[in-house]
Amino acid sequence: MLLGINQLRVKYGDQTALEIDGSICIERGERIGVIGSNGAGKTTLIKALLGLVPYQGKVITELTPRQMAVHMQSNMYVRTMSVRHIMETILNTRIRKDGQLQRLIDFFEFGPCLDKRFAALSGGQKQKFTIILVMMQKAELTFYDEVTSGLDFETRQKLMEKLVEWYRDKESTLVVVSHYYEELEQLADKLLILDQGRVIAYGRKEELFETYCGKAILILDNTPKNRELIRDFKALKSPDHLIALSCADADEEERIISILIRNNVNFKRSDSDIEIMSINAKEAFYAGRENQ
Amino acid sequence: MMKKKKCGLRMVAYEWRNLNGNFMSHFFGIVFPNLMCLLLSKTIGGQMAEDMRIQINTSIMLSMAMVMPMAIMLLGYGAIYSLEVENGVPLRMRLFGFAESSLMTAKIAAHLLLLTISFVIFGAFQILVTGIRLPAVSSLLCLLACLYLVGIILLVISHSIANICRRFSVTFGIEMSLYFVMMVLTGMMGIKTEQLPKILQAVAATLPMTYIGRDFADFWQGGSYNFMPLIQSFLFFGALAGILLLVSQHMVGREKNDN
Repeated sequence: MLLGINQLRVKYGDQTALEIDGSICIERGERIGVIGSNGAGKTTLIKALLGLVPYQGKVITELTPRQMAVHMQSNMYVRTMSVRHIMETILNTRIRKDGQLQRLIDFFEFGPCLDKRFAALSGGQKQKFTIILVMMQKAELTFYDEVTSGLDFETRQKLMEKLVEWYRDKESTLVVVSHYYEELEQLADKLLILDQGRVIAYGRKEELFETYCGKAILILDNTPKNRELIRDFKALKSPDHLIALSCADADEEERIISILIRNNVNFKRSDSDIEIMSINAKEAFYAGRENQ
Repeated sequence: MMKKKKCGLRMVAYEWRNLNGNFMSHFFGIVFPNLMCLLLSKTIGGQMAEDMRIQINTSIMLSMAMVMPMAIMLLGYGAIYSLEVENGVPLRMRLFGFAESSLMTAKIAAHLLLLTISFVIFGAFQILVTGIRLPAVSSLLCLLACLYLVGIILLVISHSIANICRRFSVTFGIEMSLYFVMMVLTGMMGIKTEQLPKILQAVAATLPMTYIGRDFADFWQGGSYNFMPLIQSFLFFGALAGILLLVSQHMVGREKNDN
């Protein structure tokens, strides 16, 4: 086990920002996606693990905060010099003499930005700058907190592609916090779903999907015609404009699909949709609490 | 594994670039004291005989020399560092493995370098343009040591205030007020310490700048001086900076969990 969390509680004044009952284990090499809406406690969790906020409970690890690298939501640097000098100071190296750093700069196409000041970089370039610095730390555990927040769709896509590509064959342990489900689909193999400071679910993506959604789901537009067509099948909780149908096995899936095709209904199939899965995990969590 | 980063030449160079990105230190630390000395020398010493004028110029120079650490280490550093704190730069640097002590050592080293350059320019200007008595080597070294000590203490105070207040506007307001209060109390604004109300004289007695500006002219070319009140004021001023630093460290946080 690389890191264990047990009965963790973080309070800001009278308000409990994070309350993890039970325990969570992060094994070496795992990619954990942390998901939840604003105020869910995602950033608070990272801050607690890094020792930046006081907490009750236990964080069991042999790592010191210095062995963890972090890309925070907001990463600011001095405005008085070019990012080249900042980079060389933080990494205690010379770019022209450091082959690994040069490769990383080339990989993120950051070379033309090196002589600019941080304030003159675009949002995407700013994120790339910190990502390069974080990657060069070669830490045992790396946190990415909302690494694409504030970026336009295209920049976000490109940056995620780069991150996925970089980590594809590496054994780094990552904890990736994101609002964007598709980012976690690409990067994470385990998910931690948080809501209002509580753990809704934690486990492997496929296991959680099967638990809360079934073998596969079919997603179609929420129209009166479609509602009528699928009224005999199990609908999952979904965003208002969509209908998500749970398929327990291949036979049921085939039956639903044949109906949809016969009636010329467009649909999307998924066996890994994190959005629908997390909505239903939340639903199950709060239903379970009410029953208790 | 990420190594703990210690203060080295690269970090000092980084801080040197950082402080040179702010015009305030250079104007108030280099241009302003020279300008003030020239102005006061012309207005006060202008009507006097040559020997007396040089004597007055020397006193003015000693008093104004203290403006350099005050401007560079209190005002200039405060402006740079409080902006950094407001933007979360020190936290970001700590997350990259820099210890607070390493960051501060580099900042002190870079600022002492600027103070030295400032002092060299100031000295050359006073000798060549304003006209002062040349010092005994021991007196010059004593002044230089006092400048460095005052500078380091002021930088620690400025650093602590910025960490406690965490806002540029509040920090700069407090430090600007401190700057002017210290100038008034230590006689740099033309009012002698003895002319102040008793309570303010007591406050002025805790500031090393008071003794340097008032007494150093007496042994500028050699002689004896009772250093005890100056040393006591340094101890008090240093202790005050130490307490402020301890308080501010409680607000920084990370190091306590990072062994």
